[in-house]
Amino acid sequence: MRALFDSQPPWFLAGPLLGACVVAMALVANTRLGVVGGFSDLVETATRRSVRIGTRGSFLLGVAGGGLVFAVVSGGRLLDGYGWVTRAFPEPAALAILVGAGVLIGYGAKLAGGCTSGNGLCGNAAGSPASAVATATFFATAVVVSVVTNALFGGSA
Amino acid sequence: MTARLAVAAIGVVFGFVLAWSGMADPDVIRQGLLLESFYLYGLFATALATAAIGLRVLRALGARALLTGEPVTWTTARPERRHVVGSLLFGAGWGVSAACPGPIAAQAGGGALWSLAVLAGVVVGIRMQLARHRDAAGVVVTEPA
Repeated sequence: MRALFDSQPPWFLAGPLLGACVVAMALVANTRLGVVGGFSDLVETATRRSVRIGTRGSFLLGVAGGGLVFAVVSGGRLLDGYGWVTRAFPEPAALAILVGAGVLIGYGAKLAGGCTSGNGLCGNAAGSPASAVATATFFATAVVVSVVTNALFGGSA
Repeated sequence: MTARLAVAAIGVVFGFVLAWSGMADPDVIRQGLLLESFYLYGLFATALATAAIGLRVLRALGARALLTGEPVTWTTARPERRHVVGSLLFGAGWGVSAACPGPIAAQAGGGALWSLAVLAGVVVGIRMQLARHRDAAGVVVTEPA
């Protein structure tokens, strides 16, 4: 069992499994699959001091649960540090950079109405022109930012 | 309650596959974004194709949602300025951290401590956006994600 999860599955297996989750969300609950919407749901629930978590928040808790299940069945293949950021920078700077990157992710994806899953996967699958524009924008930006930061700071694995 | 449990179960599958496929490992994402590995793009393209075909099959069959009984439908949106501006900011954060919201949730669930820094930032960013885009009546102006 563990050997199966020691290495990446082929992309042509993992991709369709993720895509099937979009279809399952539509078939089961007629709902869009999206992760930022789930974070937003939980943030708003906490702000209202309510204990009632909505559908999107439930999905997000499931995603975190999936990470936990994988950690258990794969024998706890935990991250050591956090990629290039914790290799290229001392801990306090890495912490500040990662929190700052998180703010950009949260603010930007919420403003754009979705992240890699909500716009990139679900919105594009639905044929939404806004999602196509959003996806082209965030993929291109992420590639440019990665190439530039790699040239400036290194830290590659 | 049934709906939330069913949706959470789909989330478990989604999070598990994200972690298994290495999407929850910033080094794997970084290799993709540096165009050193095709994996990210192959995964994304096959996920998208599967979802697009599956949704159309549901519509062609006139499928009704299992839990609500309503016909499976979805809406589309025209591009607006916020889609571009928001995605520029999101893309920058993704490029720096090599993590996006789904993988961040899967990392946190799997006990990766550093993911909590990015996760805290995501929560702050969403709160900032919600606060900024409420009108005087407290109604959120932008579409929810």
